[in-house]
Amino acid sequence: MRILLTALAATTIAVASPAAIAQDTTTTETSIAAQTMVTAKVNGMVCDFCARAVTKVFGKEDAVENVHVDLDNGEIHVTLKSGAELSDERVESLVKKSGYDLVSIEREAA
Amino acid sequence: MKSIQYAGMTLAIGLALVSPEAEARPVSYPGGWTVMQMNDGDASTLHVHYSPTFKDSIGLYSERNWGEDWHFTGVQYNRLVKRWNTPNSQANLYFKAAAGQADPFGDGADVKAAGFVGVSADWETRRWFASYEARGYDLGFTQDARQSARVGIAPYIGDYGDLHTWLMLQVDNQPEADTPTTLTPLVRFFYDVQLLEIGYTPESEELMLNWIVRF
Repeated sequence: MRILLTALAATTIAVASPAAIAQDTTTTETSIAAQTMVTAKVNGMVCDFCARAVTKVFGKEDAVENVHVDLDNGEIHVTLKSGAELSDERVESLVKKSGYDLVSIEREAA
Repeated sequence: MKSIQYAGMTLAIGLALVSPEAEARPVSYPGGWTVMQMNDGDASTLHVHYSPTFKDSIGLYSERNWGEDWHFTGVQYNRLVKRWNTPNSQANLYFKAAAGQADPFGDGADVKAAGFVGVSADWETRRWFASYEARGYDLGFTQDARQSARVGIAPYIGDYGDLHTWLMLQVDNQPEADTPTTLTPLVRFFYDVQLLEIGYTPESEELMLNWIVRF
């Protein structure tokens, strides 16, 4: 009987564990896939203070997790929180509110 | 209590240390505060302002003019009239106006309603900088006009968060002054939210020391 129970337990673990692992993996992948990075190319962002204005304005948005400014390429990289959205119109509005002009917007999975 | 003492000390140092000519970018980002302290030997100024939008700022302005012996205190409004953004440059045109009171040194009873208006413009790339400012004062007991211009070059291009350094040359013109036109070479250091400028005017043998912080 003991051997039978041990074998049953081993079988259960062998069958159940991969499923559990797969489920965790799926959850993680879904979480990663739900994060988006928005790249806004702008005109006029030529100094450190310009970059600071952009990070302050974008940083106040609930949907935004992180803001990075690339002065060399005149780009704002905005990482959104999982599942959060930031429309193109909102991005353009925030760029304008910072004092700059939007050129283009690109989106990709973060 | 300590914070009040600190604020008082900052204001006192500000009044002892500041020049109106170098007030580039008088408007910050929405919700941003700026403290500008400038001194060039002829005048010491303190300007503390708040920007509700990226086009406006309002705050207090105080100037002690050592060259012409008067003191002005008032409320100053700055307006970004126009900004030109290009892929590699930014240019701005500003309007400024202040209203308050002024009095000659040593005569506190002779306080007059006073004010000034001015325009300033700047153009900047990551390598080059140029600016111009003109102001006209009506102090009740006297009138004053001045203008100044700057050119600058960054010896290296820093990335966001680096220490940025500029080598600049400022020319000032004040028709009523003992030395109407002066030339001031200066160095600007810009790091994080702090901006510090140190210069020297050979004609008047005066030190320039400006400090700006934005938060």
